[in-house]
Amino acid sequence: MTPERRISEAELHAYLDGELTSDERAELEGLLAASPADAALLRDFARLNEAIGQRYAGVLDEPLPGELEQRLARIPEREGGRVSGALRPWTLIAAALAVAMLAGTAGFVARDLMIAKQRPEAGFVSTAIGAHRVYVPEVRHPVEVGASEETHLVQWLTKRIGAKVRAPALAGLGWKLVGGRLLPDDGQPAAQFMYEDGTGRRLTLYMRKETGLNNTAFQFAESEGFAAFYWVDRPLAYAIAGRLSREELTTIATAVYGQLEQR
Amino acid sequence: MPVPSRRDAVTAEIPKLRRYARALTGDHGEADDLIQDTLERALGRLAQWRDGDSPRKWLFSILHNLHVDSLRRKSRRPPHVGLESVGAEQSAPAADGASGRDLDRALQLLPGEQRQVLLLVGLEGLSYAETAEVLAIPVGTVMSRLARGRGRLRALMGYEDGDKGGGHPALRRVK
Repeated sequence: MTPERRISEAELHAYLDGELTSDERAELEGLLAASPADAALLRDFARLNEAIGQRYAGVLDEPLPGELEQRLARIPEREGGRVSGALRPWTLIAAALAVAMLAGTAGFVARDLMIAKQRPEAGFVSTAIGAHRVYVPEVRHPVEVGASEETHLVQWLTKRIGAKVRAPALAGLGWKLVGGRLLPDDGQPAAQFMYEDGTGRRLTLYMRKETGLNNTAFQFAESEGFAAFYWVDRPLAYAIAGRLSREELTTIATAVYGQLEQR
Repeated sequence: MPVPSRRDAVTAEIPKLRRYARALTGDHGEADDLIQDTLERALGRLAQWRDGDSPRKWLFSILHNLHVDSLRRKSRRPPHVGLESVGAEQSAPAADGASGRDLDRALQLLPGEQRQVLLLVGLEGLSYAETAEVLAIPVGTVMSRLARGRGRLRALMGYEDGDKGGGHPALRRVK
């Protein structure tokens, strides 16, 4: 028998690109479960995206050719007459960062860093990004415990991690909690909370109990198209990962940090 | 606490602009020329960047316009090779052994308008609406170019298992 409703190819793309509403997504996931051919096609398209992302990720870390840098420095900047006026998003972000600094971070490193091998945090961040990559595309089981059982989820993870964890409320920024899961990290328990925005994009907040690393300021890392901010605020180490612009991730990381500080 | 200047905001986008330009042109030198022109134009016209607009969208629009101009200038460019005319030697490398070079080549075999959309959405993570604005085309056109581009790329990369190899992969149903 043919299914009641066929999946259009456009829907598969929209799903992959985070263009569906959560209702549409849920409906499509139901249809996909009954249609292996469409699910396979979707996987192919996702695989293409992955391949492209990996192929060109290295460009992000290439230093600018000296010639280009010199010419860039010589380009005159004409800011134009418009200086006053409403606060621009940039100004707001800067203000948020200033607040985060006052709240106690030692400094805010906002430079593009590839996850350098020598950094002691490298293992932690790549585990966090790895966990992000594994679970974010998950259609039917993105989380172990859903947001409807948030209290239980947080209590359970707190108990397993052995330190108080919380799922920050990011609804004000347009991100809704999907739920969370317990993960192994080098033999130790780690927690992952997943959030989703109105366009279906997802981000994850990863945390584990930290005994080895010293407290650090926010650090930015990028790996294969995924951006992450991470920091250590003992007893926990945190990483926020997503396929987002750094500006967007900065705003979110600042909000998360602010909420975690308030306990 | 210094507020990031507009110039800083533009500079911060350079790595992603370069990534896009590299994938778009498939050529180091051409990509960096494009980036330099983009930055010159952007920094010369900072006042045109409207408050509240994302710097990325604005910069990608500039880059796109410059790219279109440069393609027009190079109208003696070799004609585009469509999938239909791709010979056997270029089609379907081994599905899992597909190297980065195969991907570069496959991307360059797509029509430019499909490659732009595919990269803006799939590589740079722009929404359909943002992509439509950057390219100054309707959202529906974004979607159709994306579908055609991905379908072709999938065929070129040999992901289709035993499909008959039409330009547009039809959804096959088991039932």
